[in-house]
Amino acid sequence: MTRIKRGYIARRRRTKLRLFASSFQGAHSRLMRERTMTQQRIRALVSARRDKKKRKRDFRRLWITRINAVIHETEVFYSYNRFIHNLYKKQLLLNRKILAQIALLNRSCLYTISNEIKK
Amino acid sequence: MASLRCLRELSRRATTVLSINQTRLISSLPISEPCGTTITHATPRSLTRDLPWCNLCSRSQGRHFSSKANDTDESSEGEDDDDDGDDEEEDYEDSAEMEVEREYSPAEKVEAAAEIGYKVMGPLKPSERLFKPYEPVFAVVQIGSHQFKVSNGDSIFTEKLKFCDINDKLVLTKVLLLGSASQTIIGRPILPDATVHAVVEEHALDEKVLIFKKKRRKNYRRTTGHRQELTKLRITDIQGIEKPEPTIVHKPSKAADTEQPEAELVG
Repeated sequence: MTRIKRGYIARRRRTKLRLFASSFQGAHSRLMRERTMTQQRIRALVSARRDKKKRKRDFRRLWITRINAVIHETEVFYSYNRFIHNLYKKQLLLNRKILAQIALLNRSCLYTISNEIKK
Repeated sequence: MASLRCLRELSRRATTVLSINQTRLISSLPISEPCGTTITHATPRSLTRDLPWCNLCSRSQGRHFSSKANDTDESSEGEDDDDDGDDEEEDYEDSAEMEVEREYSPAEKVEAAAEIGYKVMGPLKPSERLFKPYEPVFAVVQIGSHQFKVSNGDSIFTEKLKFCDINDKLVLTKVLLLGSASQTIIGRPILPDATVHAVVEEHALDEKVLIFKKKRRKNYRRTTGHRQELTKLRITDIQGIEKPEPTIVHKPSKAADTEQPEAELVG
C-alpha cells in the first residue's frame, strides 16, 4: 500500500465539533480531549430530536391556556371546554393556534366569535 | 410548525429594527411597496402588527435559497412580476416529473388536485403592480392542513405547492375568517365569497436539521440530515370584507418636529 498521510481529515471533524459546541457553557465547549464536547453534542442532538416531537404538544398546551384565559373573562361559568364544544357544534374549523393568536391580537374578534357560537 | 427560515427572517428583522429609531413611523405612502411585512407562520410571540415598522427593514441580506427556474432576485419588491420576460407557459407537469408517476397531464386534473391545497392558479402576468400598502384587515386561510392568519403584505412559508411556479398568482379559496377593526365575518366552515390573493415568491429548501438516533449501550447511532421543501407565498390582497378607508393627516410643513401621522380608520 502506498503511504497515505491523513492530512486535514481529523482537523475538519474536530472543527465541526468545535463549531457545534461553541455555545455551550463552561467545559462543555472547551474539552475535546476529555471527550466532553462529543458527549454534550450527542446529548444536544438527542434532546433536539425528542423535543421536536414535544414542541407540538407544548404549543398546543400554550394555545389552550391562552384561549382559556380569554374565554373565562367573557362570562361567568364559561370556559374553554364549552367554547370548543360550541365551536364544533357550529361547524367552525378554526384551530387553536389561530384562536390563540386572535385572542392576543384581536380580542374583540374573539368575543364576536364566542357570542356567535353561543346562540 | 417551525420553519427555521421563518425564525431566521424574524431575528434578522428584529436586529435591523432595533438599530433604527422606532419613533418615526411612516404613513401609507403612495409607493408600491409592501408595507407592514410581517411573517405570520405560527410564531407564538405576538408581533405588533399595527405598526408598519417593517417598512424600514432592508430585505436583501444575503439570502441563501435554491429556487428553481428563473433568476428572481428579491432586491426590488414590486418588480417580481416584470423581472424577465421568461414566462414559462409550458405544461409544467408533462415532461419533467417522472419521479412520481401521477397522471397530471390533463389540466383539469391539475385543478382538481390543487383544490386539495385550497388554491387556484391564476395566470402570471409580468409588468403588473400587485403590491398595495398595508391594510388593517386580516383573514384566516387554510392551506393543506395548516391555518394561517394573514394580512396584506405578509409572507408565509407553506409546504411545497406542487402545481405552481415562481411568480404565479394564487387564489386561496379556503378562507375561514375575515376580520377588520370594525367587522368580523365568520365562515361556517368556510366563506365561499371571500378570496385571498397571493403570489409565489420562491420554492426553496429549509435549513438542514440533523436527525440523530441513539440507543445507549447497544452500539447504535445514526445521523441523517433533512431539508424540508417549502414554498414562500406573499399575500397581496384580501377580498370579501369592507376595508376601512384610511384618512391621511398631512404632516405640517415644519421639518423640526416629526409628528406621527395618524391614519384614522373609518369603519
